[in-house]
Amino acid sequence: MATTQEILEALADYQVQCNNNKRLRKMQRDWTKLLHFFAEDTGGSFSMEVVKGEIISFKSGAEGTPDVVVTANSEDLCDMFWGDLNPNSKYLAGEIRVKASQEDIMRIDAISMIIWPDA
Amino acid sequence: MGTDLAEMKKEALKDFSDFINPMKVRTMRTVGLDIIEDRRSGASVWDITGQKFIDCQTGSGIMNVGRRNPEIVEALKGALDNYDMGVFLLCSKQKADLAKRLAEITPGDLKCTVFGVGGGEANDAAIKIARGYTMKTGIVYAEKAYHGHTGFALSAIGRAAYKEPFEPLIPGFTMVPFGDADALEEAVTDDTAAVILEPIQGEGGIHIPGDEYLPAVRKICDANECLLILDEIQTGFGRTGKMFACEHWGVVPDIMTVAKSLGGGIYPISATVFKEEIQDFFIPHPFIHLSTFGGSDLGCVVGLASIDYILANNLPAHAEAMGNRFRAGFERLLNDYPELLLDVRQKGLMMGLQYTNESIGPRMTKKMADRNIIAIYTGNDPSICRLMPPLVITPQEVDEVLNALEDSMKELSGEAGLGRND
Repeated sequence: MATTQEILEALADYQVQCNNNKRLRKMQRDWTKLLHFFAEDTGGSFSMEVVKGEIISFKSGAEGTPDVVVTANSEDLCDMFWGDLNPNSKYLAGEIRVKASQEDIMRIDAISMIIWPDA
Repeated sequence: MGTDLAEMKKEALKDFSDFINPMKVRTMRTVGLDIIEDRRSGASVWDITGQKFIDCQTGSGIMNVGRRNPEIVEALKGALDNYDMGVFLLCSKQKADLAKRLAEITPGDLKCTVFGVGGGEANDAAIKIARGYTMKTGIVYAEKAYHGHTGFALSAIGRAAYKEPFEPLIPGFTMVPFGDADALEEAVTDDTAAVILEPIQGEGGIHIPGDEYLPAVRKICDANECLLILDEIQTGFGRTGKMFACEHWGVVPDIMTVAKSLGGGIYPISATVFKEEIQDFFIPHPFIHLSTFGGSDLGCVVGLASIDYILANNLPAHAEAMGNRFRAGFERLLNDYPELLLDVRQKGLMMGLQYTNESIGPRMTKKMADRNIIAIYTGNDPSICRLMPPLVITPQEVDEVLNALEDSMKELSGEAGLGRND
């Protein structure tokens, strides 16, 4: 089980990885979304705001109307943000659930492909 | 699996990723369909490693006569002994023969043809002809519609994600809900050149309109002196149990577009077929719409062979019979797995499984791939699996697909994330 603090640390690293990747920033420059993440085992929730491909903020708590909702256990969320877990296999097992358009799911997967190409 | 073949597959996938489309490889790998197509026959395709799959996707309906049908292959080989593609500015017997045959098999008084290479091009031509002939500009199209990725056709797609990166698109296009004749009537104006519809929406998720819809649309078009374009690119050539889907409702369009299975899975060709009076537009403008490779002589020979095969083997009736066999299995699945399967929409072998939520489409795709069946969710809506196997599929192969569906659903029903709200 991952704590809220651990997930926030993972999110901070994810933000740095995404925002420092010029190729990714250019690729996602038309992507502005609000994402919510729910840790179903701890009841924790998190928000991430992406504006023109840049993660401009993240925080504990889910406010606003999200474009993307990801639900998983806290450990999987943490591993996903650290790049230690390929979310696709968990998604196909129903252990990570995503409510989003096909296009937004592809965008999220594209982030993983660019920042962790060997995962 | 031989090491050499496994290495060859790995290299082919890497090259595809490096030189064509990395995200496509990643996505197909995720759902277990990172297949390198090798041998093909009937309803089946073999991965380069020798693994056999029943193909229920078939490029959304390009393989009605089966994969690498020997009679179509022979027709093309024969054509290659004598012809090349032909020169588009010249006339040829092959083009004339296929156009005449299309006039014979299409419903009502559809008669004249403009050839193209692909479906989008056929729809581009249809919309251009409608505007040119009527001297009006408006085009009414449907939500969730799919007509191709080229200029005019793209403007008539009912899915924003395909269009937004390329805006501004061609002006004058109005979107209405599919299946709602009142909404369509409201959208049609004095300046409407045409209404363009698929008789049954394919990419949109196998949406079948009510029986009153297409006849009502026909009346609305007649009353407003605008043309009705029916896109039979996925539904045509026997797919739905009749040669063309519009025949289920006795509706004859002014323009019909066909492609996909016209090429027999062997050679790309499309056609925009229209009523004789519309030919008047081309009389003062005989060279206003040209296609270098459209209606190549080789493609026309293949098109004729494909039509002959479909008719000689009565594939529409076979599609109806195999569709009924599928339906009996679907009824059992609907009864046994209500937490997974909400609905089945079907005409002949144009079939859509409506799952309870959007994650189930990709998950079922993976489980079916694990059972050697290619059955993929639709791009418009991942909660829908579109099944469009070759029309030559055998009863035994239908049962294999149904068994794989049942096994997959049984396995999935023990996992998390099912039901409508997940």
